[in-house]
Amino acid sequence: MADEDETKEYRWESGYEKTWEAIKEDDDGLLESNVADLVARAKRKRAALKDTGAIQLGMMRHLFVVVDASACMFLQDLKPTRFLCVLKLLEVFVHEFFDLNPISQLGILTTKMKRSEQITVLAGNQKKHIEALQQLKDLSCEGEPSLQNSLERAMNGLKNMPAYSSREILVLFGSLTTCDPGDIQKTIKSLKDNNIRVSIIGLAAEVRICQEIAKKTGGTYNVLIDDHHLKELILNQVQPPAVAGSMEASLVKMGFPGASPIVNDGTSDSSADHAPAYCLCHIESETSSLMGPNGYNCPQCGSRYCELPVECKQCGLTLVSAPHLARSYHHLFPIKPFIERAQVRETTHCFACAKLFVEAETNVYECENCNQIVCLDCDLFIRETLHTCPGCASDPVTAQMKTN
Amino acid sequence: MLELKRALDAKGHCLLEMPSGTGKTTTLLSLIVAYMKAHPLDLTKLVYCSRTVPEIEKVMEELRKLMNYYEKEMGMEQNILGLALSSRKNLCINPSVSKEREGKVVDGRCYSLTASFVRARHAADDAVPICEFYEGFDAHGKEFPLPPGVYNLDDLKEYGQMKRWCPYFLARHTITHANIVVYSYHYLLDPKIAEVVSKEISKTSVVVFDEAHNIDNVCIDSMSVKITKRLLDKCSNSITILETTISNMKENDSKRLEKEYKRLVEGLRDATIARETDMALVNPVLPSEILEEAVPGTIRTAEHFVAFLKRVVEYIKTRLRVQHVVQESPAGFLRDIHTKVCIDRKPLRFSAERLASLIRTLEISDLTDFSPLVTVSHFATLVSTYTKGFTIIIEPFEDRAPTVSNPILYFSCLDSSIAIKPVFNRFQTVVITSGTLSPLDMYPKILDFHPVIMTSFTMTLARPCILPMIVSKGNDQVAMSSRYETREDTAVIRNYGNLLVEVAAAVPDGIVCFFTSYLYLETIVSSWYDQGIIDQLQRHKLLFIETQDAAETSLALINYIKACDNGRGAVLLSVARGKVSEGIDFDHHLGRAVLMFGIPYVYTQSRILRARLEYLRDQFQIKENDFLTFDAMRHAAQCLGRCMRGKTDYGIMILADKRFSRADKRSKLPKWIQEHLKDTNCNLSTEECVQICKRWLRQMAQPFSREDQLGISLLTLEQLQSEEMQKKIQQRAQGV
Repeated sequence: MADEDETKEYRWESGYEKTWEAIKEDDDGLLESNVADLVARAKRKRAALKDTGAIQLGMMRHLFVVVDASACMFLQDLKPTRFLCVLKLLEVFVHEFFDLNPISQLGILTTKMKRSEQITVLAGNQKKHIEALQQLKDLSCEGEPSLQNSLERAMNGLKNMPAYSSREILVLFGSLTTCDPGDIQKTIKSLKDNNIRVSIIGLAAEVRICQEIAKKTGGTYNVLIDDHHLKELILNQVQPPAVAGSMEASLVKMGFPGASPIVNDGTSDSSADHAPAYCLCHIESETSSLMGPNGYNCPQCGSRYCELPVECKQCGLTLVSAPHLARSYHHLFPIKPFIERAQVRETTHCFACAKLFVEAETNVYECENCNQIVCLDCDLFIRETLHTCPGCASDPVTAQMKTN
Repeated sequence: MLELKRALDAKGHCLLEMPSGTGKTTTLLSLIVAYMKAHPLDLTKLVYCSRTVPEIEKVMEELRKLMNYYEKEMGMEQNILGLALSSRKNLCINPSVSKEREGKVVDGRCYSLTASFVRARHAADDAVPICEFYEGFDAHGKEFPLPPGVYNLDDLKEYGQMKRWCPYFLARHTITHANIVVYSYHYLLDPKIAEVVSKEISKTSVVVFDEAHNIDNVCIDSMSVKITKRLLDKCSNSITILETTISNMKENDSKRLEKEYKRLVEGLRDATIARETDMALVNPVLPSEILEEAVPGTIRTAEHFVAFLKRVVEYIKTRLRVQHVVQESPAGFLRDIHTKVCIDRKPLRFSAERLASLIRTLEISDLTDFSPLVTVSHFATLVSTYTKGFTIIIEPFEDRAPTVSNPILYFSCLDSSIAIKPVFNRFQTVVITSGTLSPLDMYPKILDFHPVIMTSFTMTLARPCILPMIVSKGNDQVAMSSRYETREDTAVIRNYGNLLVEVAAAVPDGIVCFFTSYLYLETIVSSWYDQGIIDQLQRHKLLFIETQDAAETSLALINYIKACDNGRGAVLLSVARGKVSEGIDFDHHLGRAVLMFGIPYVYTQSRILRARLEYLRDQFQIKENDFLTFDAMRHAAQCLGRCMRGKTDYGIMILADKRFSRADKRSKLPKWIQEHLKDTNCNLSTEECVQICKRWLRQMAQPFSREDQLGISLLTLEQLQSEEMQKKIQQRAQGV
């Protein structure tokens, strides 16, 4: 639901809602306490985000996304249908996922008619996944899903992945039932033995077996309330999870192709680099076009790509750019959560956005390092997007400390 | 707790309704134990009556936890002895006897090994087998009381194994000085057993009846007798056995019979003496006036008595040879038996006692064969003792199969207060409690007692974890009801089916449905099959059906649980008043929703019920309709309560009948369900219901941690002590 306009539905299409019940008056007949309550609720969500910090996080992830494509995905409680809504959100997810975890790999499975189908194999190319997702839209949803089959399939794909990467499965499960060929408990056990984490997002109601799988494999199990909540839940999965157990550390070979501008200085070797060429990510599609001289060349085999990060098709080298790695890096050292404290008189405005604190805002947030005070919105923004404290960064002393 | 304390202080009886899973047992145990410690003179013993063996075990677990806590806090051993008692079947450790499956057989075998004459014979002749455990107990166990502690059935067995003492007799012996006794209702209510087991419990005890919503029926069952033709045939057999044994004995050992005769002449004086000391529980079967008289001359000698029994049995046989239903009062029966076979009321009255004495004298060790005869003698005694509150109904055939002759004589008790009266009279405090006792005012009426406290508690919950709804119409606006007139209507049946299918599609894991009767269940399922609803249903969940066969049902239940655990999901179709509705809990995922199809009225054409209704109307001024509704609603509530077994649990309750929304039905639901039953949810169609379900399930699926409950439905010690909370509790206590 990236597009807000599309989520608008007609009133008669939505379920019975009693909007007036959500709003409650306090003893004085005012609505204020209710508003404060809403803010507090948002804060609580933030608190849930917080506790992912502190521990070692997996940087290189291998993730299989299992999409339920059973008959119940045609239900219209998410608009336009559950299936389309999920696919759309997944596109956003894939994009975000590679944005935050550039050196990770992703694969997509569907399950329907008691079977499981592979849509894309584990790969680091986000374009391919998004394309596949777009093609999935025409898929008809029918039959019952099979959790066991899809988990087994994903497990087979993940089993041989190197031990230093985290192996995960994300299931988007709309059905309330699963039709399995054998004992699912065995599957759960082997998932656990293989150190695979299964997170499940339920689209309808709490199903016991999902809860059990998630609990036993160390994943999370959530059930959505509405489409916005679903988006939030899916995007929560973008953040890399804490490492389960001890993963061995090892070196990974990577290539850092430079984005080379056209410099015609006459040297012989650069002319080959900058000659117009087909980009390898689009070479298979019919609409492939000759791309301009801008692009990234694999430092090992010289294949050209229009976008990073990508896994080189020729030599299998992971190609990233330095900023990608840096973005990934901040997962390893998240900034310390700010301290919530009552509003103090001395500071009248937010340090980050310079907004004046109003009476209604009771709580402000203070960075432990630089003691600067920010408002709730900035706190969230810093945590989710910026990943660095503006107070610390602007102060030369603390900035120096951090780099050291 | 406050209410309970009040009742204890007042030394009166009380009636408490508390939803299951809210710590009912713990509350009762901890307060009563504390009270026992504080006022050791006023309150000496707690008798906790529960229904089934697993429930007894649960109570013992709670008690153990409580004791451990006491020990930890007080730092010393507690001088409290708690134990559970069950039948020989559950407690026997004799390797040859405990192999038997059936309770009666175990009892019989045990008796044949432990009866006094058997042991006397063993003393003379080593070849006669006896139970070494009983011998061990008899030799040493009586002198050494059980050390203080909490003993459940397994502990008793273990202790018995260790000491080589019989756990059953040890437990029975220990009852007299144990502080807390946990056992089944029947040990207190059934006069036949109560006589043996519970007579020595002192007056200053507290008696708790847990899960007591059916207590009136238990009372009635314990006083009623059912005699079939087969039973009578067996009686004739046992009478011939008696005859031969008597003639044998006459030849060999006529002295003994003479001795017995003399003893009977002297009358049951010993028993009278025992009763005067007020130690024994007054036995309602044998009213005290009998004890003051001697056994009448006509049945004093063994042969005469056997002949007498024979006449009685033959007489009943002739009575069973009827073509139409006969209903008469005990007085009429007595007159008839007098004119037809010249049997007076008086000897009839003594028949039970006399038979017991005869069996003792004859040294018949295997009692199992005589149970039919014992039944008949009980019947004879009861019929001649009580002229009020009972009725005799003879049915030549069953209602379902009017062509097959299967005559049955029902001697049925109409007044549930007869059996429980001695309990109320004897003990200073009787606590009746259950998850579903509403409407509370009915119980004192039908049990004929005056409670000092009568309260229904609700749950304090952090989230609305039950969702009761009344669905009154289908999507096509046809009213849903299990009324007799619309019962066969295909539109109603189809609507019920659609409701189930849609709910099954929206609710995860397990769903339990209750129908009003097996018959109704069968007709509905067969027409669903024709309408293709079963197929639709099986697309979402597997289907299991309760049957009257216990083995089949338990198999279905096992697979139902398996299907829920595996995530396949399952629907269980069962019957209100059946085995499933009474004893089995569907907690968490096993019962996410309960559907009640129709109001579970009792089968109103039954003559026994009609007689009872009439009696209730005449004696207690309870209108027939009131009682029927009360009975139906408590069963409905019982079914609905199956899915809620604790504060972290959640479940949907759907009442699918138009009539539930009427005030007289609604107000009879327990308070904790009524509280959540909003007016807006009282007249829904299938579609609306499913919509609400879906949204509610999503809300319930949100993570729910201990912290959310803290301060609302869970309190830490600090919170409990905080002034604000104290005030709140005060307020609530006064409000109740």
